Formats: sequence, C-alpha cells, structure tokens
Amino acid sequence: MKDRGRFSRRQFVRTLAASGAIAASSLVGQKVPFLSPRKASAASTVLFQYNSPDAPRIPLVQSFVDEFNKSQSEYEVKIDWVPQAQSRQKILASIVAGNPPDVTMVWDQNLPEFEGMGALEDLTSQVKGWKHYAATNPIAWQTVTVKGKIVSFCLGYTNDGVFIRTDRVKEYGLKMPNFDWTWDDFLTLAKGFTRPEKNQYGFGMRGAGQWAFTYATEVMYGNGAQVLKDGKVVINSKEAIEAFEWYIDLLRKHKVTPPSAPTDAYRQIVMGFGRGVTSMVTHSSGSIEEQKNSVGEANFTTLPWPIGPAKKRASFYQCETLTMFKAAKNKEGAWKFMTFMMEDEPHFQYCAKTGMLPTREALLKRPPFTGQWYSGFIKSIPFTIVSPYLSYVGWGSILEAVGAPLIQAAMVGKITPKECLDRWAENLTRNMT
Amino acid sequence: MSTHRSGDLFERFLGGPVLWVGLLGITLFAMGPFLWVVSASLKTRAELYATPITYIPTYPTFANYVETWTSTLTPFSRFFANSLWVSSVTTVATIVISTSAGYALARFRFIGKNTLMLVFLATQMFPSVLLIAPLLSQWYALGLIDTYQALIYSNLSFTVPFAVWMLVGYFESIPHELEESAMIDGSSRFGALIRIIVPLAAPGIAATTIFAFVSSWSELLFATTFTSQTEMRTLSAGLLYMAGQYEVQWGTLSAGVMISTIPVAVLFAFLQKHLIQGLTAGAMKG
Amino acid sequence: MKEQEATIVAPAPRPLLSRTTREMLANYAYLLPAAICLGGTVLFPILKTINMSLYHNVLFRPQDYRFIGLGNYARMVQDQTFWLTLRNSFAWVLWSVSFQFVCGLAAALLLNASFKGRVILRTINLLPWIVPGVVVGLVWEYLYQPNYGPINDLLRRAALMREPAAWLSEINFAMPAVIITNIWRGIPFFTIMILAGLQAIPIEVYEAATVDGASITQRFWHVTLPILRPIIVVATATRIIWTFNYADLIFVMTNGGPADATQITSTYTLLVAYATLDFGYAAALSVILLVIMLVFTALYLKFTKGVESVAG
Repeated sequence: MKDRGRFSRRQFVRTLAASGAIAASSLVGQKVPFLSPRKASAASTVLFQYNSPDAPRIPLVQSFVDEFNKSQSEYEVKIDWVPQAQSRQKILASIVAGNPPDVTMVWDQNLPEFEGMGALEDLTSQVKGWKHYAATNPIAWQTVTVKGKIVSFCLGYTNDGVFIRTDRVKEYGLKMPNFDWTWDDFLTLAKGFTRPEKNQYGFGMRGAGQWAFTYATEVMYGNGAQVLKDGKVVINSKEAIEAFEWYIDLLRKHKVTPPSAPTDAYRQIVMGFGRGVTSMVTHSSGSIEEQKNSVGEANFTTLPWPIGPAKKRASFYQCETLTMFKAAKNKEGAWKFMTFMMEDEPHFQYCAKTGMLPTREALLKRPPFTGQWYSGFIKSIPFTIVSPYLSYVGWGSILEAVGAPLIQAAMVGKITPKECLDRWAENLTRNMT
Repeated sequence: MSTHRSGDLFERFLGGPVLWVGLLGITLFAMGPFLWVVSASLKTRAELYATPITYIPTYPTFANYVETWTSTLTPFSRFFANSLWVSSVTTVATIVISTSAGYALARFRFIGKNTLMLVFLATQMFPSVLLIAPLLSQWYALGLIDTYQALIYSNLSFTVPFAVWMLVGYFESIPHELEESAMIDGSSRFGALIRIIVPLAAPGIAATTIFAFVSSWSELLFATTFTSQTEMRTLSAGLLYMAGQYEVQWGTLSAGVMISTIPVAVLFAFLQKHLIQGLTAGAMKG
Repeated sequence: MKEQEATIVAPAPRPLLSRTTREMLANYAYLLPAAICLGGTVLFPILKTINMSLYHNVLFRPQDYRFIGLGNYARMVQDQTFWLTLRNSFAWVLWSVSFQFVCGLAAALLLNASFKGRVILRTINLLPWIVPGVVVGLVWEYLYQPNYGPINDLLRRAALMREPAAWLSEINFAMPAVIITNIWRGIPFFTIMILAGLQAIPIEVYEAATVDGASITQRFWHVTLPILRPIIVVATATRIIWTFNYADLIFVMTNGGPADATQITSTYTLLVAYATLDFGYAAALSVILLVIMLVFTALYLKFTKGVESVAG
C-alpha cells in the first residue's frame, strides 16, 4: 500500500506542477496586468455595451469606435460585446448593482422598462439643440420617446414586411403579386410554394419569442382589429378572432408553414428562408444582408403585408437605439460618442450594413436603400405605426412570457383562437399601468 | 469488475459481445454530435447551407479554425489563456478547500453533521441567474470587475459544495483504522491525512479535480457578466460571440467548440493515465 | 503509562482550553475555508433573496415597492403555470437522472476493464460534459431541426420517417427530446465518479470473493455495489439537485415551449425575473425551489441511509 501511495503522490505533484507551468507560460507576453484589482475607470473612458455582436457587426462597430478614438484624445470608448441572449440580463443586473455602462445599443422595446426603473438619462433638451434634430424623421424620435421624454438616439429603424423568393415564383410558374396584394393572393402564393416532398413550404410562421404575437397582431390589423381602442383592450374583438383564425389556419388547415412553426424563433425563420425551406417569411429589413448572402441578391424581393378583408394593413416600427444611462460615469464622453455615431457617414454605413433604415431623408435616397429588397419596407412606411404593445410598460415583458406560450397553444390546437385572444386580452388589461 | 487476472480476462471477453456492443453504443452516442460538429467545422459557408445535407465535407477547409484562432476581434488565443488560468486556479483552490472540509465531515463527529452537509448543498439549490445582480454589485464594490479573481471566486461558489459532497463519499469508503494506526505511531492527524489518506483517495480526488476543472471551463454566465473587456473573456463566453441574433455562424462556432474541447480532453487523457491507471498498475501483482 | 509518569513529575500547567475543546476547534478549522468561500459568494445573496420574496418588487414600478409578507407565496398557490412547471420538473429530473445514472454506471463498468485504447474511449466519453450547456443546447437544437437537421435527415434516408417530425415543436416530443439531450450531457459525470469509486476497490476483495466461488453477477451485487453505495448516493443526490436547477438547455432549445410543455420551475423563475421583471415573485419561486430540494435531500439521505459507508 505504501508503494501505491508514493507512486501516485509523486505523479500527482508532478502533474500539478506541469499544469501550473503551462498555465503560467500561457500568460507570458499578455499585456494586460491581471492579478490586481482594476483601478476605477479613468474619467476619459466611455464604456459602450453593444448587444448584438454578430460576425458582420463586430468589425463594423469596432471601426467606428476606432475612428472616434483617433479623432480626438479626450475620450476613449471601450466596447463590451455581450451576446444578445445575455444582454438584457446583464443590463438589468448592472442597473440594479449601480454600475451600468455609459452608453449601450438596445432595442426600443426595452426602453419603457428601463425608464420605469428610472435608469435612463433624459436627453430631450440636448437632442433639441442637436444640429440634425430637424432633419430627422419624426418617427425616429417617436420610437425613442418614453412618457414624453426623449431618451435615446434612433440608430436606425425598420418595420416588418414579407420576403419573397422571386426565383421560385418563376420556377413554379406562379403569379408575382404587386404591392397591393390581398390575403387571398398571399394564400394562393403560399400554396403554390408548398412542396412537402421537397421540404419546401410557403410561409415561415413564427411561434416563439416576443415577435410571435406581434406578427399575428399586424395581420389582425388587416381585418380592422386593434389592440387598444378608447383606452380599452379590444384585441379579442370579432374581427381580431376571424383574422387570427385565418392566420393560424395557415399552419393547421392549409399546412403551408413548416411543422416546426410553433417553436420557430428569429433564427429559425430567418435561416429557414435562407436555406430555401420557406419561400416567404416575415421579418424586418435587418436580415436583408444575410439573405443576400444565403439566397442570392437576385433571387428575392420584399413586399408589404398583404391587404386584409377590411382593406387595411399595418406594420409596426422597431428601432435600434443608442441610449445613455442616468448612472453613467462619463456622460459627456457618452454624448460625444453618440453624436459621432449619428453623423452622416457613420450613420449611413451602420444602416447600410445592418439593413436598418437611416433616420434622415437624404441618406434614404442613396443605394442600397433604393434596391428592390428595401421596397417592401419603404412602401410600408405610410401605414406603419409605433407598436401598440409599447403603450404600457407592463406589456413589453408579457409579450414573451405570456404571449408566446398562448400563441403556441393555439398553434398546436391546445386552445381555440378565441380562447387564446380572450386570455391575451385579459392579461393585457391586467398589466395596464 | 477489475480484470487483473488472466482467468478473469478470458471469462469476460468470452461473455463479451454484449458488453462490447454496449460500450460501442455508449461511445457512439457520446461521440455522435461531435462527429457532426467536426464535420461542420470543416465546411465552407456555402456547404453549410447546402441541401441535401452532406456529412463528409466535399470541400474541407481549415479556414474556420484559422479565422477563429487569429481573429483580432474574437481572440481565441487570449480566451484560451484566460480559461486555462481561471479553471486551473479554481481547481487547485477547490481541491484544497474541499479535501479539508470533506475529510472533516467524513471523519469527525460534528453535531448535526447531516445538517451541515445539507447546508453545503443548499447553496446549490438556488438558480445562479438570480445571484447575478447581488454578486455583480459585490464585485463592483470591491473593484473586481474585469479581473480573474471575480471569476475564480464565483466559480468556487459552485465547485466547492459539490466537491465537498463528492469527497465525503470517497473518504467514507476508506477505513478509519488506517489513520488511527498512523496516529498511534506518533503522526499528527494532519500528517496522516496527507501521507496516507490522500494517496488512497487519489481516484476520488482525481475525479473531483476533473469535475472542478470541467465545470469551471464550461461556465459562461459569470464570465459574460463580470467582465466587460474582450481580453478578459473566457473560451465559453467567446463561443457565444458566434451565436448571433439572426444567424449562428456554425462554421466558426464548430471550430471554436473543437478548440475549446480538445485541450481539456488531452488534459484528461494525461491525468487519467497517471492517476487512475497508474494506481491500478502499481497494485498489480507480478 | 504516560499519565503515570506525569504524576511523578510536577504536573504540567493547565492550558487555557481543554483538550477536547481544542480538538473541536481544530476540527472546525478544517471547515473554515469552505465556509468562507460560500459565505462570501452565495449565502448572503440567498439570504437577501429570501428577504426580497416578502416584497412586491417589480423593477420598472419602483413606486409600488412595498412589503407584502406572504403575498407572493399566496399568488404562487393560485398560479396554474407554477404547478405545471413542478410536474414538468419532476419528469425532467426523474428521467434525466435515472438514465444518466444507468448509462453512466454501465459505461464505468465497461471502461474499468483494461483493454487497448481504454484511454481514448474514456476520453471520448467525457467529451459531452466539456462543452458549455448553452452550446450543447445550440448544437442539439440544430440536430433536432426538422427541415435541415441531421437527425431527421438520417431517419428519412433510412426510410424510417416520411414527414419530418418537429421534435422540439410538438407537445409530446419536446420534453423527451430535451431529456435525451440532458442525458447525453450528464452521463460523463456518473461515468467519472463511479469509475473513480471502482478504482479504489482493492483487488483483494474481488479475489476473495472469486475464491469463495462467486459469479460475476454475485460479485457485482454483493461486493461492488455496496462499496460504491456512498458514491452512488452522493452522485445521484448532487445530480438531482443540479438537474432540478438546470435551465440552460431548455432555455436555449425550447424556451419552455411549446406552450409550456418544457417549462420547468427554474426556467419559469428565470422568465418571471427577466421577462416580467417581477423580482419579488421570482425570489419567492426560488425560495420554494430551495425548500423543495432541502426536504427532498433530507428525505433522500434518510432513505438511502446517508453516506455512512458499509466498510465503516
């Protein structure tokens, strides 16, 4: 037994030493001192949390930051790349902990809750004195105004439209619709696209995440339904239920959607279109660049939502914002950086690469925004409204927590469309603050 | 079911087909997804999106690996160093702390020993995501954001309790008489622990080491939240850079997964050769 | 004998603390580092959370912040989703851990044999554990993808499936699918722990048993298992606790869907905390989780006669 002991102990100590040596050697040549606690941020550092570190965006944003840092010596912007799935948790935790970043890129639907927490800086007076204030589309200010206060810059905005595979339209000899197509045209086209034996479906329906109910709501507006009317929740009106049934029937009756629809989120519907599993999909202009790569520039175009039986249709705005926190340590630096990002060139480049629409008319007239891929979104602007789900702070969060399970239950047949909308309306009413 | 006598060996191998099928089955199950990941890591973007699905890449390329390792914006070489350091320190600290506590709980008579053990485990009965906010304010107050210490201490919070429990189990299986006879011979209890018990419990300690290292290596919530600078991120946090909002970059993500998995596997292979197998080899007769 | 000698010589001065007290202090000293570790990281946040559960605390309505005693708990009793998540959690833990244990035990027994390539096979079997949970979720989500995932593709090529089954989108398949992923990920834990336990069994014990004429099965049942018992108890208890709390896989793969089919209590807590920002209710949910697991572990230890070893 003693032999056994000695043998293993020596080896164990050797292994430990070896691992320690390897670990230590890997740190040779690393320039950042790592053992002592960090000093508090110097006055000139601006911490910028960017919450969508996708492969194409990282170099883009980094180049802007580098340019800004080079152009002046007073402030240095440091980027904290946070994967989108963790971003909201991290911001919330840091607000609660009292050390939020100075400036961050967040989506507009998060603004009401941050404002509710008292975490955002009121930028109204500063923005009104900004040189590009008047030239900016008023919609852009609307999306970043919470309770009458402007709290961010709109980095770029978009709405929802329908992507269509033009090559498949030709291939299957279908009729290419125009901008004023109707629900019937939509259904006909979707049926024409659907070939289950080839694993192809007409429409990539979204069942998961925040946007599942939002897209369904946009469709319901086509039948004259509304979320709010005279301050009351009417999303379970007769028109809404009819429209919702038509929408759900795409999956349940006509089977023009992939069977995975109930749990398909952003990634799945975007990739589904990109891989040719679906020939139509609803999304914002944010995925245009990616679809150009996946499907091919010449093979798709975009249209607005089709016109519903009530001769109406709607699309909701979303935007990416640059937002400053009240507890920021370097507000001056943050402001300087934000206004830099909103100058013509950075703003235009950012939008062109990410597919967002720029907030100033003049920039919208430059390519690529003149291409066919943006046509659906630009043509939707006349009837695009700010999302009704932003009306109350408590609504944003239940879209995902309550709305998604509800619509999934309707999609899989667990509850009827009427039940689904009734319960949804009930939840909305309960959360009106 | 050790097979250190040739008679046993034959007996088992003869009755073996069932066992071998089982072994093959389990190994294939464990390996299956990895085969897919390796295949994806060698594909070009075009092929990743191609239909029908190809299992062996028609145009294999190492571009994904090169891009992942050398990209200045997601510096995997730096992530690797960070992970190695944090995991190593966490592991060593965990072993020291939990060997001491585990031994005490296994041997000494504490009032309410089971309660104490429950308390250790109770700290794990809490969703770690809810701990983020309080921990964040704590580290921030101590000036430990963007340091290795924050990650190491936070990792200890989940490696130590499990390690203590595991080691209690392993220590319990060693008879008490051993250190008692050593102490009668004049050694201190601590000396007996080091010289006699630890070597005997080596397989258990090795298992706990692996557990602490692997848990620490694959941890990513704390790594993302308690650091803000890319150069302080670990491999696991770095992998998520490739899971974008709209698209998962499967090529580079798969390459990243292989890069972060292989070294731990190699370390494990090395460790077990010297610790587990070594013990058995030393105990073989003739 | 020493005492007799001591009475002849002058008695030693009395120490401040008696020998038993000193011993006790020394014993507790072994626990000190662990206690400091946990106290500084986990204990205080847990206590704070228990406190927070007694308040109405919705982050974006700070003006409504007030003490409501057991109000959150009363709400929980009425919450249908909560009870559903409890049932789901039970299924999740039961199936995951049982299969992880059985497969891990089998793997450990098999890998304990000595054969060529043992090191490689052992290493391969460890791999699923090394990958971060979130990435495991992403990979398996891809594998399960009905339209472009390998699993359906292979099933179709083998003519075992005509229409693609949406594993993660159908109510009856979603939970089994995520459980399989969890099993895949958790087997190595048991394999390693049991393997280590097996290594510590001295061969003499087996030899004695074989000499006594015991067959393989008898050796396994009467020799191996009893010695392994403390380890099995520890491994399963810790695994059950860990799995109950494990939210990453489900979060990534199905986000609790479809229609809460895979919503377990820990993912529900996350949803309440970070989607609805109701930290008071989320705190209450965590406290209940904590209580459930404490009770379970206490009972489990009693039932399996704890970690007292047979060898004594």
